[in-house]
Amino acid sequence: MKKITIAALAAIMASSVAQAEIKMGVILGFTGPIESLTPAMADSAELAFKEASESGKLLGGETISVVRGDSTCIDAAAGSAAAERMITADGVAGIMGADCSGVTTAIASNVAIPNGVVMVSPSATSPALTDIEDNGYFFRTAPSDARGGQVMAQVVIERGITDVAVTYENSDYGKGLSDSFITNFKALGGEVTATAAHENGKADYSAEVAALSAGGSDILVVIGYLDQGGRGIIQSSIDTDAFENYVLGDGMIGQSLIDNVDGDLTGAIGSLPGSESSGALMFLDLAASAGLDGDGPFRAESYDAAALMVLAMQAGGNADRATIAENLMSVANAPGKRLMPGELARGLEILAAGGEVNYEGASNVELTDVGEASGTYKILEIKDGAFNTIDVR
Amino acid sequence: MAPQIHTDQNQRLRAVIAFGLLGLGLIAVGILQSWNSAFGVLNLCMISAVMALGLNVQWGYAGLFNAGVMAFAAIGGLTAVLVSHPPVVEAWQAGGTYLIGSLAALIATILLIRSVRPRLPEGRIRFWGTVLITITAYVIIRSLFREGAGLVEAVNPAKTGFLGGLGLPIITSWIIAGFVAGGLAWAIGKISLGLRSDYLAIATLGIAEIVIAVIKFEDWLARGVKNVTGLSRPVPYEIDLQESDSFIGWVRWWYQDTLSASDNSVKLLNELVISSSSIFVKLCYSGILLAALIILLTLANRAARSPWGRMMRAIRDNEHAASAMGKDVVYRHRQAFIVGSAIVGIGGAMLTTIDGQFTPSSYNPLRFTFIIWVMVIVGGSGNNLGSILGGAIIWFTWVQAEPAAQFVMQNIAGFLPEESALADHLSDIAPHMRLFTMGLVLLLVMRFAPRGILAERR
Amino acid sequence: MDGFGTDILNALILFANFVFVPALSYGSQLALGAVGVTLVYGVLRFANFAHGDVMAFGTMITIFVTWGLQSYGIGLGPLPTALLALPVAILGTIALVLFYDKTVFQFYRRNRSAPVIYLVASVGVMFITNGLVRLFIGPDDRRFADGERFIIKARAFKKMTGLSEGLSLQVTQVITVVVAIIAVAALFWFLNKTRTGKAMRAYSDNEDLALLSGINPDRVVMVTWILAGTLACIAGTLYGLDKSFKPFTYFHLLLPIFAAAIVGGIGQPVGAIIGGYVVAFSEVMATYAYKKFLKYLLPDDMAPSTLMQFLSTDYKFAISFIILVLVLLIRPTGIFRGRVY
Repeated sequence: MKKITIAALAAIMASSVAQAEIKMGVILGFTGPIESLTPAMADSAELAFKEASESGKLLGGETISVVRGDSTCIDAAAGSAAAERMITADGVAGIMGADCSGVTTAIASNVAIPNGVVMVSPSATSPALTDIEDNGYFFRTAPSDARGGQVMAQVVIERGITDVAVTYENSDYGKGLSDSFITNFKALGGEVTATAAHENGKADYSAEVAALSAGGSDILVVIGYLDQGGRGIIQSSIDTDAFENYVLGDGMIGQSLIDNVDGDLTGAIGSLPGSESSGALMFLDLAASAGLDGDGPFRAESYDAAALMVLAMQAGGNADRATIAENLMSVANAPGKRLMPGELARGLEILAAGGEVNYEGASNVELTDVGEASGTYKILEIKDGAFNTIDVR
Repeated sequence: MAPQIHTDQNQRLRAVIAFGLLGLGLIAVGILQSWNSAFGVLNLCMISAVMALGLNVQWGYAGLFNAGVMAFAAIGGLTAVLVSHPPVVEAWQAGGTYLIGSLAALIATILLIRSVRPRLPEGRIRFWGTVLITITAYVIIRSLFREGAGLVEAVNPAKTGFLGGLGLPIITSWIIAGFVAGGLAWAIGKISLGLRSDYLAIATLGIAEIVIAVIKFEDWLARGVKNVTGLSRPVPYEIDLQESDSFIGWVRWWYQDTLSASDNSVKLLNELVISSSSIFVKLCYSGILLAALIILLTLANRAARSPWGRMMRAIRDNEHAASAMGKDVVYRHRQAFIVGSAIVGIGGAMLTTIDGQFTPSSYNPLRFTFIIWVMVIVGGSGNNLGSILGGAIIWFTWVQAEPAAQFVMQNIAGFLPEESALADHLSDIAPHMRLFTMGLVLLLVMRFAPRGILAERR
Repeated sequence: MDGFGTDILNALILFANFVFVPALSYGSQLALGAVGVTLVYGVLRFANFAHGDVMAFGTMITIFVTWGLQSYGIGLGPLPTALLALPVAILGTIALVLFYDKTVFQFYRRNRSAPVIYLVASVGVMFITNGLVRLFIGPDDRRFADGERFIIKARAFKKMTGLSEGLSLQVTQVITVVVAIIAVAALFWFLNKTRTGKAMRAYSDNEDLALLSGINPDRVVMVTWILAGTLACIAGTLYGLDKSFKPFTYFHLLLPIFAAAIVGGIGQPVGAIIGGYVVAFSEVMATYAYKKFLKYLLPDDMAPSTLMQFLSTDYKFAISFIILVLVLLIRPTGIFRGRVY
């Protein structure tokens, strides 16, 4: 037994010493409730890894290969097993992921943190993750729901809307964001006339819509995903003419919502992390030139999560796990040269020369002292069949 | 009796071979992937085995179709939270009075109905009287309860927003989970046992969905879909081990040969300490789980060989004859149903303990009901050791299917033109074929090897 | 147009728009599914867990044929093309269930296995069908209703009548009800008037007596599967047309369908139909918030301040089960005495 252990460890050590390329993990729910969102998120992250590899400037010409794993979004045991394999067998230097807050917590506290591996989540928004005991190994490029709900509540109040009905997807994301929205909205003097959760994957949402509309409000706040229950709710509400206008959470924003809903959504407003900074637009161009659609939930955040880890490696001059953890904050925040998406090569050059960078990226990255995005939001409105940015805060 | 002995020997040999192959599989994972993965899989194999053992008591002993295994696993997990999480004092102060009030009102209603009903004249008046009391009480209880739940959920909803638990060591929840799950089984059995077997199947299927829905929507109970994370552990934390001098010293001693041969021994020691710490934690879990599994197996085997076990099999094989012999079939069925559900509940508590968190949305009928069924039928219905084997084998296949399926799909896709729609489709649906395979395995075993890998002892 | 009369009209329209029309079409879909389950139960004596996924399979064929017809530009004008595709899909579904009977269920019938063994086998069949559907069409949500979407739109209705509440009526809702009536009428004609139908009923009532009187059991079983497959395909397609097709949701339909069959008295086709409507109306009515409805009917100072909801929509699907439990407790035989022991 002992011999086998030593042999196996020696084999792993040998591979980690002699490896030709740096391995990075991407762990997202490729099956499960958000299986329709994850492929594009993984592609966006891999875009950043590829950009760094192809620049030829990463640690003097190293390349990155990506190991994908299935977090399943809900099954903590299966997600942890995948992460375990990735960290202990494939020997990844850092992990981009995970996605849903539940598995993210499980993987972080049972696998990543004990093994000293950095995780940067693009989409785990649960406020509970702010206080996780992470020993400096857990980061996220998505802002906490606590901030998202606050922004949404302010926007709604400023529109002169005083009463709304709220529907949220029944998951840690939906429930967390709606709790935060409702608390803030009430604090600002608004009234919530009805709330109803919706489950994804149900064919019929007429009962939910009926209950929501019975509260008497004309405005419906929809917190969910644009290709799942959230769209079903809006469709059902249009069919029965239950509401006049909609306020959309960040998971609902995307052109496919407007394209796939049979009816007129003009006037609907929503908020989405990110800014109308040139960064967001640059990311769209960058993604388009790689054949990807960069316009969708958590894609920019995924790209940024991957980019931060690459820059952290370069800043420490080493591709090992501890180096990434030590340098991640410094490359994300000021001081330093501002970096936009697609400028990784320039950033790697500056870092190699001993300079400092301040990565802005696609989602205007600025990490708070616990390592999560502080949260700039853009406010959008649907006009002429498209989302238009009307404000940034 | 000669053929009997022969079959017994044969059985023993089969058991040894099957467990041997499983062990080899785990060692292969250890060498090819990592020992951390291997022990991780082993621990989950043991938890699956516990759940399969519980279902075997119901199906193998008594022939009861329980389509709600998931509910008992979830109740076990919930118990783990309610036992181990420290109480949230602010929440109790905020809404505790209302919640206790609504509970008291519920008990009062039941007592009221019980005392009033016999005094009403039989027939319509009694029926409508009961309906009237029930509806009035429902309105009162619901409003009290909603008020209290709202207050509790408003206490720092991002972090707590629930009542919390008792703050006891999480291991104690394994025993309590057995009682709680058994209690739920008692209630379900009371309603649906005694009718045709299909009714139990449909009733358990439905009640399982409701149990999950209650856990998901009632935030005051265990935060609902917001999950309860960071449950305390019965074993040390890796980080603490990594900082403990005695652990580091122990690692240095264990790996002295490797370390002295290395030219960068400080860095290597650091890496070894990290990987050893997580292997050590997993080994601790393995020890506890193995002990629990052996206790449960011994008890289950004893029960199976006792007069009680013989009677259960007699009832299963011919209900009418057993009933004619004066056996109370419904009562005995209920016993087996309660005991089996209790064991599944223990398995559920174990799983939550290992995960360190409770995620209600992870409970779906596929993963927590039907896979357990496949485990029992493949392992051998009616044979306790068989269901343990089935549990371990099926879980092993289930987790290792992901890397295997990726491997297969990559190879198939290699032959197809790049970026072809078919290749895309294949890799998209690969995970869903797990389901198909499980159905096929179930049908094939039922048809061609209905006794499973290890047949029932007669 | 003011006054109490208008208020009553508004209240009724509100109720029709959110409760009556959706529940009627949902109830028709459940009723068709429940009749299929109940027929199999009556003749083959087991609860078929695969029924929901067989419905999904039938709907999938409908979708494929619809796509084919659409690509040739063939359609039904204002009606959905799926109606044209339905007969082909029915044949496909019948082929599937007969295949399952030959490969899976026949074996247990020959061995005279206990009903619960069939039940476990039907779970296996459920998974295989589930996998097949995902293999062919994938797990995504599909809308395949084409043609006109509405007969009356809510806003148009408001403008037309001058009321403050609108009634929307979708084409698919009307089609559902009409097709369900036709299918059920044809089924009862078959069961009551034809020789085969009578043989089936006799077999279902008393197997031994039926065998003695020279009824061919294999034929009865085959006809049962054909009817069950046909009904499953129609029910699945109507449900998919009215809402949308997603393989996952068909598994969840199983529970209300079982509830409907048991409430009506399992093994009793008439009971299954009534059970379907009982379940659908209870589901919608118990979770509807009556605040607005009562506001129209009650004087202003009595208008309710809460939502007046009996049960939160969170537990919508639980209603069918609560009904099931109540029936099991109070009258286990169902409305029309079915077989329970």
